[in-house]
Amino acid sequence: MVDTTKNTKLFTTYGVKTSKAITTEIAAKLISKAKRPLFVIGTAGLTPEVLDRAVKIAKAANLPIAATGSSMLGFVGKDVDAKYINVHQLGFYLTDPNWPGLDGKGSYDTIITLGHYKYYINQVLTATKNFTNVKSISIDKNYIQNATMSFGNLSREDHIAALDEVIDLL
Amino acid sequence: MSKLTTGSFSIEDLESVQITINNIVGAAKEAAEEAKELGPMGPTPFPGIATLRDWSFTLFDRYEPVYTPMCDQCCYCTFGPCNLEGNKRGACGIDMKGQAAREFFLRCITGCACHSAHGRHLLNHIIELFGEEMPINMGASNVIAPNIQLVTGRQPKTLGDLKPIMEYVEEELGQMLATIHAGQEGAAIDYDNKSMLAGVLDHVGMEVSDIAQVTALGFPKSDPDVPLVQVGMGTIDPKKPVIIAIGHNVAGVTYIMDYMEDNDLTDKMEIGGLCCTAFDMTRYKREDRQAPYAKIVGSLAKELKIVRSGIPDVIVLDEQCVRADLVQEGQKLKIPVIASNDKIMYGLPDRTNDDVDAIIEDIKSGAIPGCVMLDYEKLGELVPRIAMEMAPIRDAEGLTAIPSDEEMKALVGKCVECGECKIACPEELDIPEAMAAAKEGDINALEALHDICVGCRRCEQVCNKDIPILNVIEKAAMKAISEEKGLVRAGRGQVSDAEIRAEGLNLVMGTTPGVIAIIGCANYPAGSKDVYNIAEEFLKRNYLLVVSGCSAMDIGMYKDEDGKTLYERYPGRFEKGNILNTGSCVSNSHISGTVHKVAAIFAGRNLSGNLAEIADYSLTRVGAVGLAWGAYSQKAAAIGTGCNMYGIPAVLGPHSSKYRRALIAKNYDESRWKVYDGRNGQEMAIPPAPEFLITTAETWQETCVILAKNCIRPSDNNMGRSIKLTHWMELSEKYLGIMPEDWWKYVRHEADLPLSKREELLKKLEAEHGWEIDWKKKKIISGPAIKFDVSAQPTNLKRLCKEA
Repeated sequence: MVDTTKNTKLFTTYGVKTSKAITTEIAAKLISKAKRPLFVIGTAGLTPEVLDRAVKIAKAANLPIAATGSSMLGFVGKDVDAKYINVHQLGFYLTDPNWPGLDGKGSYDTIITLGHYKYYINQVLTATKNFTNVKSISIDKNYIQNATMSFGNLSREDHIAALDEVIDLL
Repeated sequence: MSKLTTGSFSIEDLESVQITINNIVGAAKEAAEEAKELGPMGPTPFPGIATLRDWSFTLFDRYEPVYTPMCDQCCYCTFGPCNLEGNKRGACGIDMKGQAAREFFLRCITGCACHSAHGRHLLNHIIELFGEEMPINMGASNVIAPNIQLVTGRQPKTLGDLKPIMEYVEEELGQMLATIHAGQEGAAIDYDNKSMLAGVLDHVGMEVSDIAQVTALGFPKSDPDVPLVQVGMGTIDPKKPVIIAIGHNVAGVTYIMDYMEDNDLTDKMEIGGLCCTAFDMTRYKREDRQAPYAKIVGSLAKELKIVRSGIPDVIVLDEQCVRADLVQEGQKLKIPVIASNDKIMYGLPDRTNDDVDAIIEDIKSGAIPGCVMLDYEKLGELVPRIAMEMAPIRDAEGLTAIPSDEEMKALVGKCVECGECKIACPEELDIPEAMAAAKEGDINALEALHDICVGCRRCEQVCNKDIPILNVIEKAAMKAISEEKGLVRAGRGQVSDAEIRAEGLNLVMGTTPGVIAIIGCANYPAGSKDVYNIAEEFLKRNYLLVVSGCSAMDIGMYKDEDGKTLYERYPGRFEKGNILNTGSCVSNSHISGTVHKVAAIFAGRNLSGNLAEIADYSLTRVGAVGLAWGAYSQKAAAIGTGCNMYGIPAVLGPHSSKYRRALIAKNYDESRWKVYDGRNGQEMAIPPAPEFLITTAETWQETCVILAKNCIRPSDNNMGRSIKLTHWMELSEKYLGIMPEDWWKYVRHEADLPLSKREELLKKLEAEHGWEIDWKKKKIISGPAIKFDVSAQPTNLKRLCKEA
């Protein structure tokens, strides 16, 4: 098993409450148990090795995808439920309990993030952290301190291995 | 009887005499004539904090403040630090939203203060040289100060007329700064209202700055055919003595240029600049379209890179966007630093009152690393002479921070790939991976980092092996740097009234698909080519591009397969398919001013003291969107926020989420997408565009889609809407691989549909949205939520409706 909890060094030092570092096992459990999850995938998720695993996770856990930035291009024809939305807009809409969601069925209780600039997703997640009860789980290669839970900082190889473990555990 | 209008008089040795002035003959007539010229005064001349609050709140009702705080804590007063996480309240009672709004507001007033103080310095300096009576000359236009006129109701005619405008801005800045204090404002939304006013005043301060320098310093005046300027690190000839000017306020540098010209030095030495001083150096005395000899090195991101290269023989600083470590960095390579503005003195000795020869001797001997010089006559002589004296000394010693081939090998070999640099890097550059490849002899990955690297040296400070990582990257990129030679069109100043008259109808009807204003700094998420890519995409599509500042420079750094920059490929008029550069940072006021002019000149709306009405017009009818893809500064926050108050939306790059506050609408909430019809006051539905007033995007490709969509306005005619939908759909398919989900919400009539896809889209409207189609006539019978009425007068202001 990849130790996804050991390096939680922040790239800067803001925050009183920082993300809990989690193992692949806990990540998989949280994803599986979420009642109304949304898989939020950014443009850095378009590298073939990450995209392949993102699609597998979405299929294994039956997750709808919010494709942010220009990541939508990667999901066309992949037989997943993906829709484009700007990530800043998404962060705001998640603070509104009346948001109909991407599918018209209402807002979400858990978001899983992958493939983002760490500084950008950290800012976006301050909205969910401070103004909502939405749970955020980062399975990115960087420690995302404003998520509710996050992997630590991982090498590219370890990150891919960790995603594979999550897929196996789902 | 003498006529007394402006100025002062004194009577010496007069005591205990009361003077009563009953009337100043002619003043009332002058005031009446001015009023006639300006049109009726609007309801909000010289607004204070409360004056425009209703308009701010009207905007916030649709475009809600979205807070993304940078920090969980407030550390502002001695009650704290207070943990505000989860929107808790601190000891003073402020909650997280209030604190985030205050932090954003602080950025806006800082930006406003920066531009306005710049304007005040320039104005005082120029009035001292040319006098208060010097007539303002911005080119062939009647509306010469649209921001000033809109906000204050005044139309200045002389440089002296700008003084009360500055006094007003300064007073309001003081009032607003007071509200940052603990125990003052507490409501987030009221900080947001203040941010909007700060943004508005920022545009006024910028306009004063540029009017003063365009008028008095021989800058181009509304000239679409200004010359091209060399831009890039590779344009500087290192064999000549080199002066590098950094900052935004060109006042002192003009004396250096005068000295160079008077002493026949312009071809014997180099003068280059970084940031907006560079732009204004190339505008100085160039209204005759003569090619400038001054060169533009680049943006803030290039500051440390040019210093470390060892090319400068002297650096002269003025104000804004100057790195705080230039004295220390310069000292390592014997590059003297001369500070020419009292806002930045960097601990240097003030030698303003000393003899130039004595200063040069102290610098040459190394007794001082540089100095403060606030006497511009002396500055003009000092800086070129230092460059000429230091160049042979520095050449003889071969001073550069760039490692030799052998040193490079040793430095790369020291790297243990611990990854600390990657965590510290604000651009998330994979430096360890590039180092590992370099160890194997492949420097391509290191070279590729050069353009994305913003030259902040955070990586060096965390390196456990003390590797000067920036120098290593620059060494790998030596060839690329030497080839960094582009062209940018010099700043032209304002858009003329005649150009507005010619283009206004196309803009309001939508047949010019939009105005894209690319402005701001160079804190890009993935390198400078992004702004070139965006500009090229929209120019090819016949949008009207307006650019300024560091983005304008970076756009000029890239060429097509024929070796031509966008400035060579597209002309510089204010019409579709053109790219015009207004100039430096303070020239951003001409971009907002252009939008006001559309309402005033094309639509005949009263401009004077009439902000809400003009902004309402722009928001509902002028398809202009700003883009500050690399915004880093507080000034950029103020510029963008001012645009928002003026009804102009803006997209920022991902780094700008750190400004902490956006304004985004709920596109799913139909109750927010209604305006009044000015003809009768009845509510009318509008499409959800623009969807935001200020927001961020992740990639340049996503930005292209967002920009195209948010040029849509309720006033578009059928052809205009069809053109805009065509571009939005094409860009979405090109960059996201899909048709937009919500395209149908923007369709009012079959003529709105892109011609090439009309039948296909009608089928979708019928099958997926239940619209009724007459297939014989290929017409929409029922379905659209928005009606198309060519005579409708969309407005957010009930008071403008005839029945109101």
